[in-house]
Amino acid sequence: MKTVIQQLTEAFGPSGYETEVTDLIKEMVEAYADEVRTDVLGNVIAIKKGSQEGRDVMFAAHTDEIGLVVTFIDDKGFLRFANVGGVSVSTLVGNRVRFAGGAIGVIYQEKGAWKDLTLDKLYIDIGAETKEEAQKMVRLGEFGIFHREFTDLGNRLIAKAMDDRIGCVVLIEALKKIQNPKNTLYFVFTAQEEVGLRGARTAAYGIDPDLGIALDVTLTGDMPEAMRMEVALGKGAAIKVKDSSLVVHPKVKDLLVQLAEENSIPYQMEVLERGGTDAGAIHLTKAGVPSGAISIPTRYVHSPSEMVDIRDVQACVDLVVALAKVDLTGIC
Amino acid sequence: MEIKQVFKNLSEASGVSGYEHGLASSIQEGCPWADESRTDKLGNLIMLKKGHGTGPKPKIMLAGHMDEIGLIITKIEKDGFLRFGTIGGFDQRVLLAQEVVVHSKNPLTGVIGAKPPHIQAPGEQSKAVKMEDLFIDVGFDSQAEAQKQVSVGDLVTLKRDVVDLQASLMAGKSFDDRAGVAAILECFRLLAQVNHAADVYGVATVQEEVGLRGAITSTYGIVPDIGIAIDVGFGDSPGLAESDTIKLGQGPGVAIGPHVHPKVHKRMVETAKEWNIPYSLDPSPYPGGTDAYAIQVARGGVPTILLSIPLRYMHTPIETLDYEDVKRTGRLMAMFIAGVDNEFVEGLTCF
Repeated sequence: MKTVIQQLTEAFGPSGYETEVTDLIKEMVEAYADEVRTDVLGNVIAIKKGSQEGRDVMFAAHTDEIGLVVTFIDDKGFLRFANVGGVSVSTLVGNRVRFAGGAIGVIYQEKGAWKDLTLDKLYIDIGAETKEEAQKMVRLGEFGIFHREFTDLGNRLIAKAMDDRIGCVVLIEALKKIQNPKNTLYFVFTAQEEVGLRGARTAAYGIDPDLGIALDVTLTGDMPEAMRMEVALGKGAAIKVKDSSLVVHPKVKDLLVQLAEENSIPYQMEVLERGGTDAGAIHLTKAGVPSGAISIPTRYVHSPSEMVDIRDVQACVDLVVALAKVDLTGIC
Repeated sequence: MEIKQVFKNLSEASGVSGYEHGLASSIQEGCPWADESRTDKLGNLIMLKKGHGTGPKPKIMLAGHMDEIGLIITKIEKDGFLRFGTIGGFDQRVLLAQEVVVHSKNPLTGVIGAKPPHIQAPGEQSKAVKMEDLFIDVGFDSQAEAQKQVSVGDLVTLKRDVVDLQASLMAGKSFDDRAGVAAILECFRLLAQVNHAADVYGVATVQEEVGLRGAITSTYGIVPDIGIAIDVGFGDSPGLAESDTIKLGQGPGVAIGPHVHPKVHKRMVETAKEWNIPYSLDPSPYPGGTDAYAIQVARGGVPTILLSIPLRYMHTPIETLDYEDVKRTGRLMAMFIAGVDNEFVEGLTCF
């Protein structure tokens, strides 16, 4: 599983430009799915057919990552940029960025106090000495991502884009394990979550599922002087109760808790006070879809060094597998 | 049961956004005038009163949200005290010293604790206590004891009975927007006595307080020709500018603004005048805040209007209204509906 995590987290895929990631995923799931298709927004949908009396369940994990976009190239060849998704200034200064065309640069700040720092006071140095040289290396509107490698610490793993390639890994690993599921499963690797749950919205409209489950990272409160949150690394799959985009349907939440208990899967309850997931878009599709989310506890989300615990990832895989088999009569 | 009593019961019952399932049956029982009713996948209660006559009938959707704002347990502290966040926009200044119900497997009564004034630092009383400093005391003596009964994610509501004030004024929690639901019931009661061509869908919507969510999906399912959202509006009280409020006891505010169809507005005002129903004009420049917006932009677009029941002290446990305004809102809708035919609906597409 760690190899898959490394491959996917190191791939290039800011919102709207997820092809490198989805190509890898298509290759990984082809042998295990009954059908794999791509929709016009770039969502990859792997289908595993269930029995007649089963329900249609949509699982969603997003393939895109946060990034940057070049907005201006100055006379000396420095780049100015805007954010793609929720990029925080504090994670940028001194970090490296890799662009779609392969150029690599360092982000730094103009002079001034740290507390006054805003995105427009940062620039990217790609080593160009003139505007003309820079223009040969990047184009206006070119997207970039954190340039950072995967690191294996044993149980704990660090990488950029754990959000949400780790959710993709959970779905891929679950798909490998599932045979003859009761429910028809749509494993959707969604595009453009970081810019407004966009891929999940259209994928859910196309699929029109009976139940929606997002696999995404959630924050933790187990670091020094961290914000107050009960979720911790290593304590199991996080079953979402609510976030800004969704109040999980009580029946779905209770079902996930029941499945975790019946299958001895470690779990914890998640109340996320800020942030959303693909389930937020899925549950409002058409006349409504009961939805929930299984979250992978992750430290330092939206930084170039997001940390997960492999045991939590395994717990999430187990929970998805359990859900694939369960009788959903009376739930949705 | 009288609708006013149904309303009181609803106000005292619990139904935080996403957890409204306990309310639907009381509303259904309080509405014997519906021909059929069902609950959709997100929990919206949809009650249909069929129109008279044969052939295609206009469809009118009435939406009042049944969810209330609430609290949710985020952490169980070492000493057994409970920390919480909010679902929907509570006024955190009013939470201090409230009695609450923690909806764990067995509901528990608790209180939101406060620091005694004697030992507060100078100036402390002039500032509101922050949500993150508040906690619920259920009486547990340890974390282990608390964990046996409460889990992170359990919901919390304020405990508050309805009180009758002078004349027909009342105070209580969750009048926002169970008053809107009561107005729909008042409307259905009257519709049983008048001739109306339109099929009327009275919807007690879910999850309005967290983003108009129930209205988004229920409108998609119903596909109405006209949408009427009934919510509460800022009632007059000392310290508020007259221009920001509508007066209690003077009927509903009839909205005018970008999310209101001009012809629906015109007909609503004409109806009020014709039947001598008091109303206030309610300029509503910002479209985002009520189910009306979700209805308006559903599918290919729905001509929509918002009626606002004047309400004082919104998002506190002592929301105050004049029940006569609820009845007037119901009556105005019923008389409006009685006047809607296919021709009127067709006219809505011509500006």
